[in-house]
Amino acid sequence: MITLAVFTVFAVLALASAVLVVVQKNAMHSVLYLAFTVLATAGIFFTLGAEYVGAIQILVYAGGIVVLYIFVIVIVNLKEVVPERRPLLATIVLVAVPVATGLEVAYLLLAKGFPAPGRPGEGQGFRTMAETLFGSYLFPFELASILLLAALVGAIIVARRKLIHDPD
Amino acid sequence: MIPIEAIVVLGLLLFAVGFVGVVVRKNLVVMLMSLELLLNGANILLVGFGRRLGSPRGSIFALFVIIMAVSEAAVGFALVLAYFRRTKSYDADALDDLKG
Repeated sequence: MITLAVFTVFAVLALASAVLVVVQKNAMHSVLYLAFTVLATAGIFFTLGAEYVGAIQILVYAGGIVVLYIFVIVIVNLKEVVPERRPLLATIVLVAVPVATGLEVAYLLLAKGFPAPGRPGEGQGFRTMAETLFGSYLFPFELASILLLAALVGAIIVARRKLIHDPD
Repeated sequence: MIPIEAIVVLGLLLFAVGFVGVVVRKNLVVMLMSLELLLNGANILLVGFGRRLGSPRGSIFALFVIIMAVSEAAVGFALVLAYFRRTKSYDADALDDLKG
């Protein structure tokens, strides 16, 4: 019961700050609300019993990605607020498409109900998760590290000011 | 006990809000932030279903999604910086050269 109450609080916080991220005109305010959303989502992960994902969420998202956003906003100097102009009809259509998609999926999922899980799973503890991650998912895990390396090199090359003419 | 329906509705709502942000906003940095909202919604769904099935695979896939989000943020910001250097703007409408 108390878990449900905590979950509800975090869910409302996450949704409200997510809406504020999209609505804010100043990008720096959006970043702060994004940090709030990320921390509330980490709280949701904790209430769902996924402590590892919650901790990684706080470390990587709140500690890494949000700081990266702040750096980029400072570099790009997003202080001045440029009004975004778009016809009203286009805005209505653009908002209606995601809302309709979400409603359709929610209806399809909730109308039929969820089947009960068949056999009980292996459990969600750290030990089980580590054994599965480094057993069945070892290859995707190593691929993920290669992806991170490639993204690092690619980001440096794309963001570099100009080509360096190395005589060698 | 948290009902699975609440988790699904929360994930879908977060996904829809992020979707609206990506489609409606024209500021490139805010569009990238909305992408993070999309990935967060997907992560909530993955963790919720993993908990319902009593399996660690939901958390593992959420971990992979987070790794992918980090790569996406790094490359996305590099592209935003290159874009800003080229157009002196962060508005997605600044590159409408190909408009027919």
